[in-house]
Amino acid sequence: MVRMDKFKTFLAPFCGLVFGLFILMLIVYLTASLPIFEREGLAIYTTNVWKASENPQKEFYGVLAAIYGSIYTSVLAVLIALPLSISFAVFVIDYAPKRLKEPLMVATDIMAGLPTIIYGIWGAFVLVPILKEYVMMPLYEHFSFIPLFSFRPVTGYSYLSAGVLLGIMVTPFASAIIREAYRSIPYIYREGVYALGATRYEATKVLLGYIKPAIVAGILLAFGRAIGETVAVSLVIGNVFNINPSLFAPGYTISSLIANQFGNAYIYKYMVPALFAAGLSLFIIGLIVNLAGLMYLRRFKYAR
Amino acid sequence: MLVRKIKDKLFIVGIATLTFLTILPLFHIVFSVAVEGLPVLLKGGWNFITGTLAPPDDGLGGIGPAIVGTFVLTFLASLLGLPIAILTGIYAAEYPNSLLGKATKTLLMIMMEFPTILVGLFVMQILVVPMGSYSALAGALALAIVMMPYVAVYTEEALRGIPKKYREGAFALGLTRFNVVFRVLIGLARKGILTGVLIGIAKVAGETAPLLFTAGGATRTYFEGINRPVGAIPLLIYDLVQQPYKNYHEIAWGASLLLLIIFLAIFLPIRLSLKEVKL
Repeated sequence: MVRMDKFKTFLAPFCGLVFGLFILMLIVYLTASLPIFEREGLAIYTTNVWKASENPQKEFYGVLAAIYGSIYTSVLAVLIALPLSISFAVFVIDYAPKRLKEPLMVATDIMAGLPTIIYGIWGAFVLVPILKEYVMMPLYEHFSFIPLFSFRPVTGYSYLSAGVLLGIMVTPFASAIIREAYRSIPYIYREGVYALGATRYEATKVLLGYIKPAIVAGILLAFGRAIGETVAVSLVIGNVFNINPSLFAPGYTISSLIANQFGNAYIYKYMVPALFAAGLSLFIIGLIVNLAGLMYLRRFKYAR
Repeated sequence: MLVRKIKDKLFIVGIATLTFLTILPLFHIVFSVAVEGLPVLLKGGWNFITGTLAPPDDGLGGIGPAIVGTFVLTFLASLLGLPIAILTGIYAAEYPNSLLGKATKTLLMIMMEFPTILVGLFVMQILVVPMGSYSALAGALALAIVMMPYVAVYTEEALRGIPKKYREGAFALGLTRFNVVFRVLIGLARKGILTGVLIGIAKVAGETAPLLFTAGGATRTYFEGINRPVGAIPLLIYDLVQQPYKNYHEIAWGASLLLLIIFLAIFLPIRLSLKEVKL
């Protein structure tokens, strides 16, 4: 009995270290952003200004545009990922020819692990020109009276480009979660549905109802991934302080704002705290979304 | 009945099309990187691997410092992160019902999803600012934090997957818990743990965001010590893509092809020897 406790006390500090790091991280974000809260209050989150100045009196920062852009692009990504990942999961588990199953899954697993900078360079040099030429320009020319398409796509760097690239990046991740859940549905349910005379379409609809929590979890976790992604997004979003409803307008996300501005932030008195405050908002959004996702996933696993 | 049959056919065609659309980007990416990158590697030759960065608008030069930097950073990150990650994984596996064990499992899952740019910013504040300089050490610490949850979760799952009888047999021999775990169970779980280690390495070798404000980047000097700035392939690509020079874009494509090859060389053997991976 005594020996077992010794082992536990030997290992516990290492767990503690990981916890300590995480808590230290939260503390660093809180303390480093404190000066901006003392100066501006919540205006840092509710206004869209970026006034950097040598004179600290004149400095003022509001990161609303970045928060808006992060949520906008991540919602787009999830809207793209939802139909793709569910279709992929269903097709690969139930309907794909046997020889294709494994290669299809390997392909998406490679996509899930691919260095994000490779998505970034492909996005900036290949995807953006394609989207601009074949999607944005035609829609703008014919439908520019609709607010979503009202911005003239000059460069192609836009919310849409970022959303599509993020959608491509998070689909394999969401589909891996949904795939595992769909695979785990007990065989008798499938047999039961077909025995009732359901077509494959009807059967799939019923079976997808069974794994609803896992689908919600997959989507939430995909949203969490999308909102935290940095380099690929910052290469295609345009990096402009902008709050625009149009898909074709350039903008900022929290992570691309940090990536772009932090390098020279130490010249100014309040820019570093402002960026840490932006980081803090990402910290909190990410934590809530991911915890919710993990909760749904756990609920599904226990319900099984 | 006919309507139902048509709906059924449309459904199958629909999900097959969407499945195709899901993986289409991968082929387009690999194709683009190969088409743009291969001529650069061939033209640059051996010097592209060993040389230093060319001046703007003047040839290809090489990305040697970035390649060396990626290996140095990955090695240092493994040194810092692996022992802690594996021991944490062992704790979560050995005491799954204790409060700390449960909390650790949840924390690891959260850290897996945590935005990596925030890790970089954090390390900048606690290490780069006090030291007064970007450094290989800071980059490695950021990568170690990114790597740890993957390795820990794989270790935990590998250990928990071992049939109970081995554990009981080991205890029946009168071994202490320490010896049961380190002499018997670790050996049995080595494949799972190794997978976790390799996935972690593949992951951090391609990471960019945690390095932005920690490693600093170096394109003309090789590794000069752990307290000095160091380059990395992903970081170099990120910087070069944002430059206006045509030759820098070419170098970025060449570097991307190299990074893709490194990634696939680590990742594909693991994936093909397993049924599923967690990323």
